[in-house]
Amino acid sequence: MNKLLKLLVLMSIILLAACGTDSKDKLTVATDAAFAPFEYMDKGEMVGFDVDLLAAVMEEAGFDYELKNTGWEPMLASVQGGDADLAIAAITINDDRKESYDFSSPYFESTHMVVFPEGENITSAEDIKGLKIGVQTGTTGADAAEKIVGKNDESISKYESNSLAFMSLGSGDVDVVVTDNVVASEYVKNNPEAEVDMINDQEAFESEFYGLMFPKDSEVRAEIDAALQTVIEDGTYAEIYEEWFGTEPNLDALKSASK
Amino acid sequence: MIDFRFEIIIEYLPFFMKGMLWTIMMSLIGVLMGTILGFFIALGKMLPSKLLRLPFIWYINFFRGTPLLVQLFLFHFAVLPAILDSVNPIVSVVVTLSLNSAAYVAEIFRAGIQSIDRGQAEAAHSLGMNKIQVMRYVILPQAFRRMIPPLGNEFIVLLKDSSLGAIIAAPELLYWGRAATGQYYRVWEPYLTVALIYLILTLTLTYLLNYVERRFATT
Repeated sequence: MNKLLKLLVLMSIILLAACGTDSKDKLTVATDAAFAPFEYMDKGEMVGFDVDLLAAVMEEAGFDYELKNTGWEPMLASVQGGDADLAIAAITINDDRKESYDFSSPYFESTHMVVFPEGENITSAEDIKGLKIGVQTGTTGADAAEKIVGKNDESISKYESNSLAFMSLGSGDVDVVVTDNVVASEYVKNNPEAEVDMINDQEAFESEFYGLMFPKDSEVRAEIDAALQTVIEDGTYAEIYEEWFGTEPNLDALKSASK
Repeated sequence: MIDFRFEIIIEYLPFFMKGMLWTIMMSLIGVLMGTILGFFIALGKMLPSKLLRLPFIWYINFFRGTPLLVQLFLFHFAVLPAILDSVNPIVSVVVTLSLNSAAYVAEIFRAGIQSIDRGQAEAAHSLGMNKIQVMRYVILPQAFRRMIPPLGNEFIVLLKDSSLGAIIAAPELLYWGRAATGQYYRVWEPYLTVALIYLILTLTLTYLLNYVERRFATT
């Protein structure tokens, strides 16, 4: 019994030591690769706009890095605890989150779409009041909808993923889905038989911005942020943007948002 | 864990309470329907004819043999929309939980009933009791006592499984934990609170069942 105890103690010491030898010269970047076209798995490989942009920024900054697909909540926990040096996953910058994390300057402007069954009379964002609204929990779409009908209003259903929200639209569980323009277009492209319409209400839906997310008081934030600015200014950003979204980015909006 | 922000918990507490009520209600209905349905499925599975037993056997095979989450998706997105005019995640969770737990409860009932010595039924028959009387006065009272612990387990599992409803946006306890995480991007505060509330619920249930067990223990 005593021997067994000693063995257990020894094993835990070895295990702890092994955890401690993590080298710090390589940055760990966490993501949740389930948000096409920003980051998703294509035949086992992580691809997407964020993945390419990160590669460009890290090359500019001269950092070695490893991109880890941790899933959403483990990603938050590892950045908060400092296990990951940063995260990139179409993360929206907002004030509630700034209390717990540091962000880079914005790298993507997201506008919102209301998606609804064909033939419904919806012409502005205000029309979603009184309807049942589906969103993905924790996304800009959820924020945008809440700004119109109120935070945690009963009419909002927050789903695990956008695809579940869209499935609920199909089954009539919700009347409209509010989500990112890019995600909405991707859905319509992949589901031509779904018979939905979309509207975009620039005035009611304020733009939301995505940023790289760092632990509070991160040491690498300033350097990576500077590299991001360079990548945006030298045209690399626009190239990657056009490759993934087929349109030109609105650089002025990014600049005015970063102040 | 360095900074723990209690104000997030306080802000979301009313939502957690509301979610807890839904969790309790969905679980109560699930337990009730599951027990009633499970009893009849158990009887069905003990029918003398092999052909008549078959549907009951396959009911249990299906609900025990496929993941609950998959069943929830099936009922919420395919089965219920085909039957009802409008689907509601709460209804989907209650229906799925009831049908699922009925399969487990049926096996608990069957095991309980069959654990009573055959000689007792024969003795009761020879006293002139008919089949229903034997079941009602001899078998079930004894079998029920043996079923309480496994039934208790099943009820606790059911209560915790109701958390799967969060994924189809049923506004139960875990749903609000996810909503809080979505707003603040913090995992500790919401999920620890949610876990604590589940623990309080299951502990209450455990003590309640212990009490019932003691009540029936007196022979």
